Amino acid sequence: MAASVRGILPDDTAEMVSACKVLVVGAGGIGCELLKNLVLTGFNDIVVIDLDTIDVSNLNRQFLFQKKHVGQSKSQVAKESALRFNPNVKIEAKHDSIMNPDYSVDFFRQFTLVMNALDNRAARNHVNRMCLAADIPLVESGTAGYLGQVTVIKKSVTECYECQPKPTQKTFPGCTIRNTPSEPVHCIVWAKHLYNQLFGEEDPDQDVSPDTADPEAAGDAGIAALEGKSNNVDAGGIARTSTREWAASTDYNSEKLFRKLFYDDIKYLLSMDKLWKKRAAPIPLNWDLLPPEEPSSTTNSNGDIKDQRIWDVRECVEKFTDSLAKLKKQYRDQGDLVWDKDDSASMDFVTAVANIRAQIFGIARKSRFKIKSMAGNIIPAIATTNAVIAGLIIMEALKILSGHLDTCKTVYLNKHPTARKKLLVPCFLDKPNPKCYVCSSKPEVTVQVNCATFTVKMLEEKVLKAYLGMVAPDVEVDDGKGTILISSDEGETEENNDKCLADFAIRHSSRLKADDFLQNYSLILNIDQCNIFDDDVDFKVVGEKPRPISETEATSSKVTEKGESSSQSTSQSSTVVDDEDDIMVVVDEGQETSVSKKRKLSEDDDTKSAKKSKVTSQTRNGDDDTLIIDP
Amino acid sequence: MAAPVNRKNVDKKAKYDRQLRLWGDHGQALLENAKICLINASATGTEILKNLILPGIGSFTIIDGNKVKGEDVGNNFFLTQDSIGKSRAQVATELLLELNNDVTGNAVEESPEQILENNPEYLKSFTIVIVTSLVERTLLDLSSILYAADIPLLVCRSYGMIGYMRLVVKEHTVIESQPDNAHEDLRLDKPLAGLVEYAHSLDLEAMTKQEHMHTPYLVLLYKFLEKWKEMHNGQVPKNYKEKTSFKDLLRSGIRKNEHGVPEDEENFDEAIMAVNTALNPSKIPSEVQGIIDDPACTNLSSESSSFWIMAQALKQFIANEGNGMLPLRGAIPDMTADSKRYIQLQNIYKEQARTDCIAVTSRVQQILTSLGKASDTIQDNEIKLFCKNSAFLRVIRCRSLTQEYSPDSAATQEISMNFENPDSEIYWYIMLRAADKFYSQYSYFPGTYDDQVDSDSVKLKSCVCSILQELTLGALPKEDYIQELCRYGACELHSVASFMGGVAAQEVIKIVTNQFVPFNNTYLYNAMTTTSATFQL
Repeated sequence: MAASVRGILPDDTAEMVSACKVLVVGAGGIGCELLKNLVLTGFNDIVVIDLDTIDVSNLNRQFLFQKKHVGQSKSQVAKESALRFNPNVKIEAKHDSIMNPDYSVDFFRQFTLVMNALDNRAARNHVNRMCLAADIPLVESGTAGYLGQVTVIKKSVTECYECQPKPTQKTFPGCTIRNTPSEPVHCIVWAKHLYNQLFGEEDPDQDVSPDTADPEAAGDAGIAALEGKSNNVDAGGIARTSTREWAASTDYNSEKLFRKLFYDDIKYLLSMDKLWKKRAAPIPLNWDLLPPEEPSSTTNSNGDIKDQRIWDVRECVEKFTDSLAKLKKQYRDQGDLVWDKDDSASMDFVTAVANIRAQIFGIARKSRFKIKSMAGNIIPAIATTNAVIAGLIIMEALKILSGHLDTCKTVYLNKHPTARKKLLVPCFLDKPNPKCYVCSSKPEVTVQVNCATFTVKMLEEKVLKAYLGMVAPDVEVDDGKGTILISSDEGETEENNDKCLADFAIRHSSRLKADDFLQNYSLILNIDQCNIFDDDVDFKVVGEKPRPISETEATSSKVTEKGESSSQSTSQSSTVVDDEDDIMVVVDEGQETSVSKKRKLSEDDDTKSAKKSKVTSQTRNGDDDTLIIDP
Repeated sequence: MAAPVNRKNVDKKAKYDRQLRLWGDHGQALLENAKICLINASATGTEILKNLILPGIGSFTIIDGNKVKGEDVGNNFFLTQDSIGKSRAQVATELLLELNNDVTGNAVEESPEQILENNPEYLKSFTIVIVTSLVERTLLDLSSILYAADIPLLVCRSYGMIGYMRLVVKEHTVIESQPDNAHEDLRLDKPLAGLVEYAHSLDLEAMTKQEHMHTPYLVLLYKFLEKWKEMHNGQVPKNYKEKTSFKDLLRSGIRKNEHGVPEDEENFDEAIMAVNTALNPSKIPSEVQGIIDDPACTNLSSESSSFWIMAQALKQFIANEGNGMLPLRGAIPDMTADSKRYIQLQNIYKEQARTDCIAVTSRVQQILTSLGKASDTIQDNEIKLFCKNSAFLRVIRCRSLTQEYSPDSAATQEISMNFENPDSEIYWYIMLRAADKFYSQYSYFPGTYDDQVDSDSVKLKSCVCSILQELTLGALPKEDYIQELCRYGACELHSVASFMGGVAAQEVIKIVTNQFVPFNNTYLYNAMTTTSATFQL
């Protein structure tokens, strides 16, 4: 097998290739290509893990899957397809989340090399930590449309995945959208899905009903609850027919739709009680008992700025009813509708629905104007980019196996010509950030919160899990008494959930010790009392070091901002030699943007075009550029 | 009730959803009509086809006279162990067809030499021909036939750690080049009559606080520009310094509260931010000027393509109704504004764009009639697309392989210029040419047989020398290239093939969809250094 490789690689490397055991995390776009490349490069012992099932929209690039496989396990089908083409390789498929505690540090230690082919930040952070803990080299990669990136991570030698801060992620797991929204954008995505369910092209991936397969709810909510509920609804049998058929059968009656979507379905979600143990439970909205009209200070009689004003719930319901009627007519006249932010009824519908849902889940409502700009950016994905990136992953993997970690690179795939007509921009791997809150020897972060209002549950969910990427944290207050704030053992510290940090005498300059045993990761949190935050945030993780104690809380945010920037420049001065370092922005398949300053490999500088990539990768719909190799 | 939905189309939409966002329905339609020919089902060849079959080309044909060999199975995902000895075209076609039921494919079990000998016309029936692992002589014959017939040819090759790709197309015209750094077409230096009239109907002083802070920044820019021009002899701010003081002028327009503190007016912030780009003088880009001055545009014939007919109409428009300007694009950027005024403003731009497009359309019709064609030969929506993209039109003309390979017309200058850089990928171009020369003399590639590596490297060196001599170039910077190339033994490394398969398929998609600008004309990838470069050879 793969005889050709033997000729080109040194014998000992070729030996390593056939003897080593590798882990591929993800069997999606990059994963399929990667699996094929591994098999054909002579790798013999491969474990592939993916928790996802195959969807129709995967078929344009995930070539190990066919129409008949839709709905089946990605890892399993990928394995079978690859084996069918080459039966002499050992491939083990796992249909599971890599974040499952079964995959301990010991599990990772059995591999020579780990390769990520992931689509989300949480899993990337987690694998990064596991590989650091197990001291196994990791090849990290991502693609988005025509852009791609490959890099190598090795403990104490290179930057880790989390050495540089990454902006927040923009795609969301289905269960977040369907069951547990926590941000306005989750509601907006849901509203657009509902639009498509009712009037657009039906997409099974865009279901808007409660997701009973939510792993977090562990299925114990009981179908009985649903059956019982739906029998009470006058339309009856909702769960049996598609949302559209049912809506059509009610003649798009806004009251009936409202009752199902915002009352019955929410009631059902409430019955999945595991979901609400550590979250604020949603409050079903009753059509007959809507919250009273809010006196609005910003309303002006001309209605000139109506787009920028936030509708109250009653107004949302009115808009919902109006736009529903308009869309019903459009749909009957012209068939399937395509959601268009510039179509007034479509935009009204999404705004109203998103805001009603936001209200139910205690999320801030947004103006129509804001929602318009937030609504809808799906990152395009194609076969060609994944093929290119998977080819590059193998090259880096071979370098690692041959013991030449020093020659590994971060490689960026551009979508447009650089000034020197280069499609690929290789950069030296940076040294670990000595202040990284993950891979440095004694990591610390500073968290700005208002201890008087910030609860233990918020600390766990928002800071430790969502922001800092822990899976099952234990937290102890460094107060000399070892007060346990959060325990990863179920039920142990539940009574602390709704208490505020101040209740545990946590205040400015308190230190909390957070541990994640699975990730073999511990972190000191320095608390920075702060009373004033920007819109929509209730905490901020700032520079690694605690700021000096200051009396004036109001200025605290400014002080730490300065602290942050200075610490960044120190961390960079150790790695960046010239002043002409570029800012690279590469988006992963999962719509994730990572900004990092990188030292370019070659002296020639494509500064201009690299900067351009930043501008263009932000939010462009439908008019992306391509791999233009030559202008 | 709801209109019946075409099930197949819905499926396709879902399947192709993620790519429709890149090239649109019209790009997809072109892709679905494309007939792609692959000569030789090498690993690189099948990887390219895989990346074209997945997004849904219409059909493919594999021409390959070879039987599957053991070494093919080792690096080609679309050949299996049990297929050894069978027709390579046949086996690869069958396995590739599994990727997408909407694509049809067929295998031609003949060598390209046979086809060229017996039925060269057959090759002209394809949208594009892709070639891998073809000997130099046959390649040159094939390319001259296709070049004359105006059929695009993409030559692609993975040779050890090196990837090579060459596009050979006489002329390729692009309407939607989709640059990602295009400025908005706002015409503030030559304001639209509609904008002037509209801006004068608005009085910033008399507005309420809410109206003031929701006045679209385009109006602000226009109004303050008028003020500026009054103070500066009718000139708009041109350089950095003037733009900076113009920003200050804008800043002075922000309302202040009763304590003299400026209000938070986002529209003014946006206006200030837009100064750098929105005030660029409206002019015809040099590429577009080149197109309307091109002989293909000025000397139309009944053979002329729609592109050149529309280019002629564009030229006439610029000289007449356009007053030296391109048709207006008609879109305005998002901005902080109340909907009413935003829509009014949008309509002003849309309306002008429509008027311009009508003028171009009637010129297109006149030209068509004068060429003896029906005046509706070119669809209205095509003309609309052309007008909207008139600033981004591109024409690519690649040199032929004959030009590249004959010493008289070889791109010696481009090559020698790159010779100055000791790390240039151009050396690998020379090495690949030398490998082909070696093959034409000895009928095998250097390093194919382990026991002949040393003698091969001597022979290869003389091939390199003769190529360098032909191109009147100096020596290679280091001997390593020769050893390295011998080491490769012409084998195809799968990860290089995978990389090249991705890059090459992307270029094919650009050509087929007529969107984005393809490379011109040679691309080299070095897997050792993960670097790549393009050259015009």
